[in-house]
Amino acid sequence: MNKSKKLLFVIIMLLVLTVIGIAIIAVSISMSKDESAEGKDGKLTVVTSFYPMYIAALNITEGADINLNNLSEPQTGCLHDYQLTTEDVKLLSKADVFIINGGGMEEFLDDVVSNYPKLKVVDSSKGVDALEDNAHMWMSVPCYIKQVENIATELGKLDPANADKYNANAQTYISKLNELKSMENEVNKGSNVVLFSEAYEYVAKDYEMEVKSVLDLDEEKDISAKEVAETVDVIKKDNVPLIIAEKQYGEKMADIVKGETGVNVVYLDTIIRGDYNKDSYINAMRSNIELLKGALSWK
Amino acid sequence: MNSFISLFSYDFMINALIAVLIIGPLFALLGTMIVMKKMAFFSDALGHSAFTGVAVGVILGIVNTEISMIGFAVIFAILLNHIKKRNMENVDTIISVFASVATALGLCVLSFGGNFSEYSSLLVGDILSISKMEILYLIIIFVVTIVFMCLAINKLNAISINQTVARSHRIKVQLIEDIFAVIIAITVMLSIRWVGLLLVNALLILPAASSRNISENMREYVIYSVVFSLFSGLLGLFISYFINIATGPVIVIVAAIIYFATYLYSKG
Repeated sequence: MNKSKKLLFVIIMLLVLTVIGIAIIAVSISMSKDESAEGKDGKLTVVTSFYPMYIAALNITEGADINLNNLSEPQTGCLHDYQLTTEDVKLLSKADVFIINGGGMEEFLDDVVSNYPKLKVVDSSKGVDALEDNAHMWMSVPCYIKQVENIATELGKLDPANADKYNANAQTYISKLNELKSMENEVNKGSNVVLFSEAYEYVAKDYEMEVKSVLDLDEEKDISAKEVAETVDVIKKDNVPLIIAEKQYGEKMADIVKGETGVNVVYLDTIIRGDYNKDSYINAMRSNIELLKGALSWK
Repeated sequence: MNSFISLFSYDFMINALIAVLIIGPLFALLGTMIVMKKMAFFSDALGHSAFTGVAVGVILGIVNTEISMIGFAVIFAILLNHIKKRNMENVDTIISVFASVATALGLCVLSFGGNFSEYSSLLVGDILSISKMEILYLIIIFVVTIVFMCLAINKLNAISINQTVARSHRIKVQLIEDIFAVIIAITVMLSIRWVGLLLVNALLILPAASSRNISENMREYVIYSVVFSLFSGLLGLFISYFINIATGPVIVIVAAIIYFATYLYSKG
């Protein structure tokens, strides 16, 4: 092999790859141009950690002149194992306030947040009547109301100019949430239940259900034969009329158990993703309540 | 152009950039020897032992599982090195058995209670979360590797060509091979969190393999390997930043394109 010819080949190859790379980068920059302007206009930038927090903040900050962003949503299951994308880290490094659910839900962010000492973190779980080792508190309407109050108060402290607006908005939102609470009272309470996700422990709490067994099913979990057998046994022994499961991950297991016992299954929304609409939480919760009402109406 | 400069206003990007600048040459240097000594499968098996390393850490209650990962990998590497010496005929099989056992043991412990998802970041890695301290570790192992390579590259080379002849020249074959295995073990373990277990071996092997396609002597081999490794690392990092995808896979794709290009060139 000719030495200088080889060098030429290597240089040309690397140049071609560089040009292709630059072309890819240029295309992606031109597609996301508007984004680079964000956060440089002197407005307060608020970032929320995930969906229910975003919907709460959206309601609270309505009409206030701020930037509100949500971290990009994980495509799979819960966000315990979620990894930040470059977009997320960019968002966080520009943010002034970061609203989190708290209670250990955002453990993955500890390292990242400690890199931005100036970032003010609003922990919405303060003083919430939470279950032990379970941070899915937005699944309980009373807990969520408390979270909304917390966010409004803390945001007001960090942004005094808009404090009144935040509080007024929070009150409006809470009065809507209270309607949900009265809807909940129409559901028969006190049933025995088997849950297919930790998240529903808060649902059980709201409806004073007796939880006979909790299986935490998510995308990474393989169901063992023993667990199926145990669940079937519990349902038969305690005469459990209802399983609450997540459509995405619980369906397979629910079908098996249903075939064995004939138990009723409802699939409730865990409200960790959806459209970015102000009333999304309320709509999702309302349909959850309707489903539960139907499932428990025979009593 | 502005957006390109804005990239350097983020600390995490600067850290990632420094990491790539260190990991690139480090992997290239180790990779040349790994490819030459036909140890690609060995380093792959080492990567898989990370599962057990983390599992051991979890059982012992060590908070920083990196320590248990490195500790286990070092033991694993030396053990593997010695066992494969005794059974020269079927090295492949033995490494495969060891890798499977290490993976299975690790998965058993880590999936206990259905919590494997917590550790799934081991598989893909996350170069954006690299911290200053961890860069320091990489620098230390980089310096150690360079010193070792300067002192032992000819000896390693001799061993890979003919062990008996090497031994007759009073080269301490076993010692040098063990040190080399330990360095690979530590490097792989330190890099797994950034590059991901699934791809760490690709980054070790691809630049060296590409370089081997076109080089005629040791010097060319090492130089091209470092150039390819750095190039794919940097280009991969920039592209992944702008189109918002995981960094490791992009780097590997760039490195793979280089491999095929050099392969075709060497045949054509």
